[in-house]
Amino acid sequence: MQSTASDVTVGDDRRSPQTATIQILLSELMSGPRIDPRLRNALESAKQLIAEEREGGVFLSVLLRTKGKRPEPLRDALLCLAAQSDQDFEVIVIDHDATPADAAEVRAIVAQQSTGFLDRISLIEVHGGNRGKPLNAGIRAAHGRFVAVYDDDDLLFGNWVEEFKIASLTSEGRLLRSLVATQMVKPELWPQDQIGFRTLSWPKAEYPREFDQLAHLQMNYSPFMSWAFPAALFSILGFEFDEELTVCEDWDMILRGSLLLGVTEVDSLTAIYRRWEGGNSSYTDHSKKSWAWSEAKVLHRLESSLLIMPGDIVPYLRKSFALLGVHEQLAGLLHSRAWRYGRPIRGALRVAGFVKRRVNGLRGAIEPSRAHEPADFAPLIHPVSDESLQAVVDVLDDVNGANDATGRTAG
Amino acid sequence: MQSVLFGNDAYEILRAAQAMANSVKWARSDGLVGAWTLLLGDCSAEPVLGADILEEIRAVVAAEAGELIYRVFGKNLGSAAGHNALAALSGAELILILNPDAIVAPDTVRSLTRAVTGSVGIAEARQIPIEHPKDFEVNTGNTSWASTACALTPRAAFDTIGGFDSDTFFLYCDDVDYSWRLRLAGYRVVFEPSARVFHDKRLTQTGDWPPTSAEVYYSAEAALFIAHKYSHPEIVEKLIAQFQNEGTDAVLKAVAAFHLKSKSGSLPAPLDAGHLVGQFIGDKYAVHRF
Repeated sequence: MQSTASDVTVGDDRRSPQTATIQILLSELMSGPRIDPRLRNALESAKQLIAEEREGGVFLSVLLRTKGKRPEPLRDALLCLAAQSDQDFEVIVIDHDATPADAAEVRAIVAQQSTGFLDRISLIEVHGGNRGKPLNAGIRAAHGRFVAVYDDDDLLFGNWVEEFKIASLTSEGRLLRSLVATQMVKPELWPQDQIGFRTLSWPKAEYPREFDQLAHLQMNYSPFMSWAFPAALFSILGFEFDEELTVCEDWDMILRGSLLLGVTEVDSLTAIYRRWEGGNSSYTDHSKKSWAWSEAKVLHRLESSLLIMPGDIVPYLRKSFALLGVHEQLAGLLHSRAWRYGRPIRGALRVAGFVKRRVNGLRGAIEPSRAHEPADFAPLIHPVSDESLQAVVDVLDDVNGANDATGRTAG
Repeated sequence: MQSVLFGNDAYEILRAAQAMANSVKWARSDGLVGAWTLLLGDCSAEPVLGADILEEIRAVVAAEAGELIYRVFGKNLGSAAGHNALAALSGAELILILNPDAIVAPDTVRSLTRAVTGSVGIAEARQIPIEHPKDFEVNTGNTSWASTACALTPRAAFDTIGGFDSDTFFLYCDDVDYSWRLRLAGYRVVFEPSARVFHDKRLTQTGDWPPTSAEVYYSAEAALFIAHKYSHPEIVEKLIAQFQNEGTDAVLKAVAAFHLKSKSGSLPAPLDAGHLVGQFIGDKYAVHRF
């Protein structure tokens, strides 16, 4: 959701679209004319602390999560990092629960990188726990001003770091969100007997170009490597990945982080999310029950907490409420006594319409030249079936995003 | 290892050299590569590499027992003539042709060297993040043609067919033609997916790849020449009609270039009359996976 200058109703810096949401909240709290000076000082201290940036570190810490089961994609992933146009980053390869043989292969792959790049790679091994555990280990090892997560089977364009860095210059502590394409691949044995894969499709930019906070409450439309998180989210505000979640740990952090800090859009395609056909992924590795449980836990956590949102979300909320109003009116009409009593009349009109079409069809067969002439009169009342009205309600449900499952990204 | 430079960023060339030296190191450790040379041919109006960065590249190459040759051509020879000129400067058994802005992985040289065995005349590396969509056979890697964004070819094969056809091709299709002539000479052309190379191509926000007018011109011109060279006059006619109908400056210029070569009698003699190797599928030169 990109706010524009016209959306901003209060014309001071506190409402700037490039200010972290929590900073706006603190400024609002401080704006009371009779605020206790002790509270004002405390809030001012909090504002400064949250705005603090790490000194002397690299721009970006890249958490590269692997289980050691996909050495060839991992080699691709490291090459994408080695070739970035902006090299102001460190890489933390997090080997999570790899077998001893797989862990040795990961170490060997890392050790082969060229000197200037290898110096900026650290490798940590994490045992046990769910998908959030290695990420928290990576966060604790990170030195960057921003943190990004990049799984071992995805690809980056050469500008991934560069675009984040440019956006960070004006983002004032917000999360950064860039654009990611998807691409289909399937496992395949390569000519030299490596367990490789075959790319099946051109990269498709299927996720929404603009970030929509409300839509993301429904599901995650932004793959993990779309994001760069300010380090302060973890180091100052103390956020951690939820280690109980079996999946959706990315969605959970994206939601909590974006609601608290806001989002700066990076309008460039910077990465490719590989979808595996017939191979292992978080979809195949986790049951439907696991997905449902994790989704419910993410939502329950939100429902149990206090949400703050930037003011520019108001027009979208109003639009949603307006649609909801139409939805309720239609649903009310469907269940009204008048609608139920009118059912025989609607049925008769449907039969009449059917008979008329049949007669016209027969007439057309006998007199072909008249077959496509307009009807003698147009009915004043078009019969509307219960099914078609229900279809309208369904469409409204779709508008509200309830039935759209295409945007989900694997955690 | 050879690259033709044209107005590149000097830092890019240094990074590419560092990656290449590292990849050679691992191939040498397996005994796959002995002496090696990095050949850089500069087609830019002004030399891309200054003395300082040249020394840096020389040191990177020397650290892996390699030699650097930097040749300033002083004019834009194009890809085919540039690579022929560079190949003549070395007697290496294997020639690795690389785009100047491409970064190889630690195991790229190793994988390509292993792939070039027996009757293989050229082995192409897999480009990321945008993979070339050409189809290839699962077990053998056999494919219609090899892109020279990053490819390894034996000197013997290169010499047998006389290198690239620089009289006909300037920027595009020189590699398609090279591959097809190798196949006519009995060599195999293979795609080696375990050899990866980062070729810095980017897409628009909607996932598109709009070509520049120079790309449109050179690919249109090359399309006419290769259709003629591989005995498809009907495709030449069709393309000319299509380009004239399209009417943009870039494609009309390509038609004019073809007519000029035709009138001067400098079009290449047609090959592959039986259509054994040349594949023309729409505007592609291979079956594509996507």
